[in-house]
Formats: sequence, C-alpha cells, structure tokens
Amino acid sequence: MDSKIRFRARVAVALSIASAAALTGCGGGSSAPAATDDGQPIEVWARAGTDAATTYAAMFKEFTAKTGVQVNFQGVPDLDQQLQTRAASKKLPDIVINDSAALGNYTAQGYLQKIDKSSVTGNDRISDSLWKETEGLDGASYGVPFSRQTMVTMIRKDWREKLGLPIPKTLEDLAKLATAFATQDPDGNGQADTYGMAVPGSTERGYLGWWASSYIWQDGGSYLKDEGNGKYSSNASSQETQAGVNWVKQQFCTPGNTQPGALTAATSVASPFFQTGKAGIILTGPYNFSSFDKTPGKDVYEVIEAPKGSKDNTVLAEGENIYVTASNGKKDQTKQVIDYLVSEDGQKAGMTAGKQPIVRVPVNSDVDAAAVYKDPRWSVVQEALKSSSKAFASAINFVPFRQAAAEALNKIVADCPADNVASGLQALDTAINDELNSQNAKS
Amino acid sequence: MTATPTKTTVSRPAPPTPKPAGGARKRRGSKQSLAVWMFLLPAAVLGLYFKFIPMFEGVRLSLFKVQPFLGDVFVGFENYAKVIGDQRFMEALGHTVFLGVTQTLGALLVGFVLALLLEGQARSLWFLRTAIFLPVVTALAVVGEIWRILYFPTADGPLNSILGWLGLGPLQFLNGTDTALWSIAVVGIWSGAPYNMVIILAGLTGVDRSLYESAGVDGATVWQRLRYITLPALRPSLVIVLTLAAIRSLRSFTEVYVLTGGGPAGSTEVWMTRMYSLGFQRNDIGVASAAAVLLLVVTLLLTVGTQYLAKRKADR
Repeated sequence: MDSKIRFRARVAVALSIASAAALTGCGGGSSAPAATDDGQPIEVWARAGTDAATTYAAMFKEFTAKTGVQVNFQGVPDLDQQLQTRAASKKLPDIVINDSAALGNYTAQGYLQKIDKSSVTGNDRISDSLWKETEGLDGASYGVPFSRQTMVTMIRKDWREKLGLPIPKTLEDLAKLATAFATQDPDGNGQADTYGMAVPGSTERGYLGWWASSYIWQDGGSYLKDEGNGKYSSNASSQETQAGVNWVKQQFCTPGNTQPGALTAATSVASPFFQTGKAGIILTGPYNFSSFDKTPGKDVYEVIEAPKGSKDNTVLAEGENIYVTASNGKKDQTKQVIDYLVSEDGQKAGMTAGKQPIVRVPVNSDVDAAAVYKDPRWSVVQEALKSSSKAFASAINFVPFRQAAAEALNKIVADCPADNVASGLQALDTAINDELNSQNAKS
Repeated sequence: MTATPTKTTVSRPAPPTPKPAGGARKRRGSKQSLAVWMFLLPAAVLGLYFKFIPMFEGVRLSLFKVQPFLGDVFVGFENYAKVIGDQRFMEALGHTVFLGVTQTLGALLVGFVLALLLEGQARSLWFLRTAIFLPVVTALAVVGEIWRILYFPTADGPLNSILGWLGLGPLQFLNGTDTALWSIAVVGIWSGAPYNMVIILAGLTGVDRSLYESAGVDGATVWQRLRYITLPALRPSLVIVLTLAAIRSLRSFTEVYVLTGGGPAGSTEVWMTRMYSLGFQRNDIGVASAAAVLLLVVTLLLTVGTQYLAKRKADR
C-alpha cells in the first residue's frame, strides 16, 4: 500500500515533468516554411554593436517619419548564432543586413528570397559590379548592396617624418619602413620597443587569411580562381600566390616587422599596438578612423593609397547587403525599406545619423563619401573601392576557405628557417579543392 | 524533440481500502515520500531542461546534416566518420591528451605540495591559503588575458625579464610552436592546483596525528612518513581529485581560446576549440555534435574507469 502510493507519486512526478517537456518541446518540421505576413511591424536585424545600433535606430526613425511604415529593428552582435536559433523556429526576421560575404552561406541554408533588381527604385544608381556581388550560384540576385569599404593602410606620419622616410609606394618600401620603425627608435625613447606592422595573424575566424589576401592579390596571386558559371578552382599554389606569401612570410620572419605575438593575435589584440604607439603600420578598415582619431590622434597618422605589389595595388573590399528572408511575406513594406536604404537620403542617414557610420562608402553613386563626411581620408577609400579593390567570392560559402587559408599561412610563417612556402601552399590547394567539391562549386 | 510518454497510464480508481491498525503511521510515511518527491521536482525539471534535453538533442543532431530552416537530413554515422577521419581532429586529440596529462599531474603535484606547506591553524596560513586560492575563483578569460601579458614574447616581457636576470631566454612562449602548448599547460596548472590543494587539505585533517608521533618515535624519515602514512590516508581524496581533473582537462577550452585561439600553426588546437570552430564558425552543427558526443563517451569511460579502479584498490 505504502509502496503503491510512493510509486504513484513517482509516476505523477515523472508524468508532470514529461508533459511539461512535451508542451514546450520543439516540433520538428522537415521543409522550409512559406512566407507569411503576420500583421506585425516589419522586423529588421543587423549585425551591429551598440554604436552602430544607435545609427540604425536613428535612420529607421527618419524612415518611419517619411513613410509611416513601422520598423521593429534589432541590432544583434552575434547575428549568425541568433539567426540559427530563429531558423530552427522557422520564423526568420523579415530583413537582415549583414556582410556581403554571408550570401553564400545563407543561400545554402535556404534563408533568402531572390531579389528582382528591376523592382528596386534607383537600381541604376548602384554600379553593376556591386550587383554582380549579390549573385548566388544560380546567377539570380539574393541581396541588395547597402554599404561598401576597402581595407586601408594607415601609417604613423610623425614616426615616418622623424626618420626622414618617404611615403611607401611599393611593398618593398612598406617592408623597409616596417624595419626602420622597428630598429631606428622612431618614438625616441631610447628603447627598442617599437614594431613595424600591427598584424592580426591568428587563425581564429580566419584572421590571417583575411589580412594576407590584399598582399597576395597585389602580387597577382589569389586563393580562388573564378571559372564562371558559379564554378571555381584553387589558385593557391600558383607562382604569383607563392610570391605574395613569400612577402607575407618575410614580414613575420624579419624581427620587429610585425608585433610580438602576431601569430596568435586577433584584431582586438593587434589594433592596440597601433593605438598605443607600439606599431607604426596597420592595414584595417576605415571604421577604425573614429577610435584611432582619439588615440594615437588624428594628426599623427596618415591614410595612404595602398602600396603596389608586383602586379597592382588591389585591396580587399567588403561590405553589407540587405537580405530578404524566405519567411518574409510583407512585400510592400519590404520594398519601401529597401528603396529608402539605397536612396540618397537613406545612405546619408546611414553615414551621419549616429555615432558610427553604418554606410561606410555609399553604394549610391549620387552620394560622395568625402563630401558627406567632410574628410578627405574617405576619398582614399572611395578611390580604392572604385579602381583597385576586390571582394571575396560571395556566391559560395567563403568562411571555410578563409579559415583554411589562415591555417595554412599560419603554419608557413610560424616556421621561419624552413623552406615551406611551396609545400604549405600545396596543402592549402588540396584543402581548397576538397571544400569546393563539398560545396559543389568545383570547376 | 522530447520524449513524450507513448502510453497513457490509465488511472484506476483505487479500491476503498480498510484502514488497518497503524495506518496513520503508514500514511504519514507515504505523505513524507510524496513531500520528498515534490522537493525534488524543481531540481529535476531544471536538470531535464538544461542538462538532459540538450544532451539528447545533441546526440540526435550528431546523426543529421543540420539545416534548421530547410529541415535536417538524416545521415547516420557519417558525421562520426568525418570526425574520426579528420586529421585536424586527431592532432587536436593528441594536444588534448597532452594537456590533460600534464595539467592533471602538474596540478596534483603542486596542489599536494601546497597543501603540505599550508596545513595548520595559524592566521597567517589562513590568509596565504585564501590568496593562493584566488586563481580558482577568477574568471578564466581574465586569467588568460593576464598570462598573455606575462608571456609577452620579447626580452622586455614580464616573464622574459625574470628569465633574463637568470641569464636565460628570451623564450617565445605562446608564439612558438614548440613552447605554446607547455605555456598553456602552466596556466592550467596555476589555476587548477589551488583547487586540488583544498581537497587534499580536507583529506589531511583526517590523518591520525598519533601515527605521525609514533612514526617519529620509531625514527622514520620525513619521506617515509609521507610514503607510509600520509599518502595511503589521502587515497580517497586523490581519487576524487584525479577524476575531476581528468574530466576538466579534457574539456579545456577557455584558456586555449583566450591565449592562442589554437595557434600558432595549429599547435595548441584542442578537441573543444576544433568543435567550436566547426559548430559556430563554419555552421557545421552536425559534425560538431558528433565530436561532442564522442567527448561525452570518453569522459564517461574515464570516470567509470577511475571509480572502478579505486573500488578494486579499496577492496584489496
């Protein structure tokens, strides 16, 4: 009797736990849900920290005042993880603003709707090359360009002038300047505590692959070769790529040319070397202008046109696109949001409405960055973007390639005495081709 | 995906039972057991939601190609095959075992020495013990950042300056492919040893003092006292320490992630960092889950193994 009651109590407890779990458990579906309009304000997500989020909020406030369309905006720093969560519940936010490089990953996951370029008001104000970057493997557009930028080379002007050296024009000049910064005591404190370049050489998030890409392109090399029709092949072991990687290795293996610990530094570790006056050269995005203007100070560093490699002075271009998700059924509001974001007003608001510009260089050709910012440094970025920049392939999921490149390069530059450039790149070649095969993008 | 009860239990009306003598006591007993279960319920629900459901979900995901939006595709053991066939995972396994062994033994040894040194009632000892225990309660991410500074790989870095006075160095520490893993192990030992110290201290208080005295009378050396009195008495606490440390070091992630991110040249990549970069940087949740399940199995075997060995030793 006693044991019976005890047994019942146990069963009751077990049942109540199980049913609670069943009530809240996740239902598993098996196919992508249809687009629906839930009657709520249009939901827009962007990968944005606090400062950028204030700019977005101010921009959408202007938009609502203009059109009467309500926007529910969320700035999400860890956007991709959060999107995964929302994808599992089959209800993505209506519009996502994120890296142009995310396109291949998102299309592979079935997140995106195709975009009819001709339906975007003012689509002719956006250059064809930018539209090209929004194409998926099937040749259809899956995003609308929103903002672009290139990496820029920043140099401690006061150090350079103190040592009486010219602005570097070639990669050789740049390497010499780095050595001079490391050996000739440019800050005049009598100690050998300065270095040439601040480099994020970590494999984390593929940082080294990202940083090195500009220098490899400048020598005519590349990680991938575009074979057309959404097909690619590896170009990692070509002579030109080897030349570029040789230059990169030379920087890591000349004492002082890169900061100590560069091999394991993410950007958050590398940038402070430039900010605190320990390193004199940095290749980074123009979003750092605002923080570098505070330290080391606006008047002590200069933004120069990228030095030339053996081929040209191509730098990495990156940017953000506006993506319309597969579960978005709000056609009219979506069109209004997109039309506004790429219009002259929207682009200007994105540049100046808040603390940090979320439109770095505008995609709308009617807007001039240097004039809006009243800062000639932006014309360097704009000029590079127009005439000498390249973006990573975005139709495929580029993340694994960047990661593989970072890991291979990290191995190569970590072992200075070894003659390992050719063999290391051969291994990268294999890794890239394997990944292309697994993404069905191998030519 | 939760396990729903498939059979609905039919509640039969309980037949009216004649109350035997002493029924009140029995009823109180049953009420008591119901109360016990009710007290257990909140913890059980929390455990279910935050431990068991995610765990089973992880096992389920490891059998699928995970595409949250399009629907998962069943691939059987393909993910496991990928993990086992992945050279980087195998290298990471080697690093993990190396870290596991060095950190476990190092932290045990250092913890034991600390415990012997700092056993006692004096206020100064109490203060020292507290100070030494601090690394354990400091967030590992913070510890990592501090050690990054200490390990600064130039001649004027903090640790290299000290080595310089001794006429050694400068060492590359985290920046060198042969020294990075050792450097991480040292951080692990530094932050793990005090924890072991506390457990061993608790064990030391259980050692019968009169044994020491009689050993002293018999003319035993310090080493003999350690070997024949202290160590046998500490066996239970040592087993606990070893088991906990082994599990902890297999799961080491934070110190590696903060200190090196797996570099340089992949020389410090461990099982967990490889898993993290696959799951969260490459969106390959299926393969990452398979790796997690394998880790779970190994951990389980280790735990059961140590317990079994300890039992057998104790029985002998």
